[in-house]
Amino acid sequence: MFQLFPLDKISTYSRPFYRPFSGSQSAFLPAFLRVTVHLFTGLSPGHSQPFYRPFSGSQSTFLPAFLRMEIVHVYTKLRSEFGRQCLFSDRPAELLVDVSPDPNLALQFIQKTRRDQAMQASRDMSEHQVNTERFESESRGINHLEGGWPKDINPQEMEQTIRFRKKVEKDEVYINSVLQLGSIMEHCIRQNNAVDIYREYFEDEDEVEENQEPPSAKTINVFRDPNELKRTVTDLSWRPDGARKLAAAYSCLEFQKSCRGSSLDSYIWDIENPNKPELTLKPASPLVCLDYNPKDPHTLVGGSYNGQIVYWDTRRGGTPVEVSSVEQSHRDLVYKILWLQSKTGTDAFSASTDGQVLWWDVRRLSEPTDQLVLDPCREGNLDRAFGAVSLEFEPTMPTKFMVGTEQGLVVSCNRKAKTPAEKMVCTYEGHHGPVYALQRNPFFPKNFLTVGDWTARIWSEDIKESSIMWTRYQMSYLSNACWSPVRPSVFFTVKMDGTLDIWDILFKQNDPTLSLKVCDDPLYSLCLQDNGRLLACGSQGGGATLLEVCSGLSTLQKNDKSLLAAMFERETKREKILEARQREIRLKERSRSEQSREEEVGPEVGDDSPHQLITWTEKDFFSLVEAEQRRRSEREGRGQQEKDVCEEREEKNETTSAK
Amino acid sequence: MFPLNLQTAFIVEEVSKIIKESVEAAIGGNAYQHSRVNQWSTSVVEQCLSQLSKLGKPFKYIVTCIIMQKNGAGLQTASTCFWDNSTDGSCAVRWENKSMYCIVSVFGLAI
Repeated sequence: MFQLFPLDKISTYSRPFYRPFSGSQSAFLPAFLRVTVHLFTGLSPGHSQPFYRPFSGSQSTFLPAFLRMEIVHVYTKLRSEFGRQCLFSDRPAELLVDVSPDPNLALQFIQKTRRDQAMQASRDMSEHQVNTERFESESRGINHLEGGWPKDINPQEMEQTIRFRKKVEKDEVYINSVLQLGSIMEHCIRQNNAVDIYREYFEDEDEVEENQEPPSAKTINVFRDPNELKRTVTDLSWRPDGARKLAAAYSCLEFQKSCRGSSLDSYIWDIENPNKPELTLKPASPLVCLDYNPKDPHTLVGGSYNGQIVYWDTRRGGTPVEVSSVEQSHRDLVYKILWLQSKTGTDAFSASTDGQVLWWDVRRLSEPTDQLVLDPCREGNLDRAFGAVSLEFEPTMPTKFMVGTEQGLVVSCNRKAKTPAEKMVCTYEGHHGPVYALQRNPFFPKNFLTVGDWTARIWSEDIKESSIMWTRYQMSYLSNACWSPVRPSVFFTVKMDGTLDIWDILFKQNDPTLSLKVCDDPLYSLCLQDNGRLLACGSQGGGATLLEVCSGLSTLQKNDKSLLAAMFERETKREKILEARQREIRLKERSRSEQSREEEVGPEVGDDSPHQLITWTEKDFFSLVEAEQRRRSEREGRGQQEKDVCEEREEKNETTSAK
Repeated sequence: MFPLNLQTAFIVEEVSKIIKESVEAAIGGNAYQHSRVNQWSTSVVEQCLSQLSKLGKPFKYIVTCIIMQKNGAGLQTASTCFWDNSTDGSCAVRWENKSMYCIVSVFGLAI
């Protein structure tokens, strides 16, 4: 835009102005006739040439068009030509651009498929998980004896306190509030005295409720090893008088792994307080096993990694009261130690992988009172002895005890035998690996449970050839087992993959009734409290988990005992029959082989070459594995099928006997 | 009345040359990009106008620019004017490359 100013408005500011003398053309005209006009005036007077000062490129896009550039254009015009009449004429329409459509060009483009795009007019958020650092807390109690006196009263001065008390008692508010509170208190006291709320009124009624709810077990607490370097919880023992304390033995059981820097301590935990152990037991060498004295809840005996036996009295603190001498103790780590029933209540016996079972009197731990070498040839030869991994003792049968060995044998022994040779009464074979747990059924002492390799087996004392019942081969190694002290048909097993299985053989024989994954580390130890409800299991990571079993699995049902007795009898009979048949067959074969030896015939039926034997065994093994895998996949597809476990064994028996 | 001074006449060739140069400078070797077309058209117009005003002629200029993507569509524009045929003039330039057309028209009106 341009503006014309009259001649008399010459000024020096930078708004549009005129300069009378400028430009070559204006030289011929008198001054008052020459007008200079600025176009798009900018801020710099004194220029007679057009210039422009555009804004910088990047800024220009943000400004509206009319502000983007400053072009100053100065021109001169003859005054006489101002106001000249416009001689306009029409210019006809002229086509400026004609671009014809070209569908070929359209082929270069493809239509984009319609897409849905979600948009949200909100801020982008992301989710993060934060775990605060573990806060160690301790419970402390405060006993408030006296206090609450106002600042000016010295509580030591009798006068002042008495005076203050008298003053307060005369206060209106005090009297009113005491009256009010007094009436509430009176109500509570009367209520208390009306009914004895702590008395059991209905305990003589037998609660026989059929629990329809599915079996469950709940984790209540986890007791973690407070040390940096976590050791395995190798043994657990409940305090016998029902007080809620659990003793746990910690040691590093890995083969030849040097646990330098790991602590030697084991702990007694109060189950109410999982943060800090109640008592620390400080042996000279880490404890592998320990046991509370069932007669005296203050005393404990433990077997340690270097073979010594240690005796504690919890009233005297964490240092051992007595330790057995190194020369007389076991030569290898003590795997199991148990208290014995005796008049003095101070006898215990321990078993170790050095092949010995030693008896001790805890008053004098300098040497063992008795010794048994687990030599299969009954000669007391320590070199040939079996290493013992578990022990069993039932207080109702004080003369008998059983030892589980590393070789997979269970040896039943008699304490009162005259000669050492007769101490080992008989052996039970059946496991492929060490027998890690061994326990008699508390209700049926003739039957005992063993755990080793991947199965758990139930035996009857009379049948020495094989177990009467067994679980199928599990997916991971079983490390410990025990019977429920309340229900005769329930037993618990723990496995190396961190699961706890609860088996109820009256309910289901093929699979555990309840299988719980307790933790990711292998579980090593297991101990049930006497009421059958609380169960502690210890893992490799140093955590002892306390679980509560549902009431269905921990209350005795009416027919349990009789049903289980019938089941055991039935299985025992079956095994007896099978044993008898095996014996017959063996007799027949022996007689046949004797005959054939007289006639000097060729190789016997059972005398295959080793190579053939190997290929045959391999084939058999793989076919069994494949059959099992197929069965598993079928089962997953179709759901549970009840199959008698014994069928499998019977089939195998038949096939082996047919050979 | 014909313009006697060449300096004050609208010379179509000159203007056309200016336009071509401006367009070449602004969108020279680019392919059509929807996000930049706005920028390009304004820069074309600005460049043209600045070059035209550098001529120093006493004209009012009107510059328009059309940038069209080569899609296969057709385009027609036309114009008509009512002015002083002796002093005023117009010029339209059509420029294209592989992916677009650029049509710039300049109208110059003598002051």
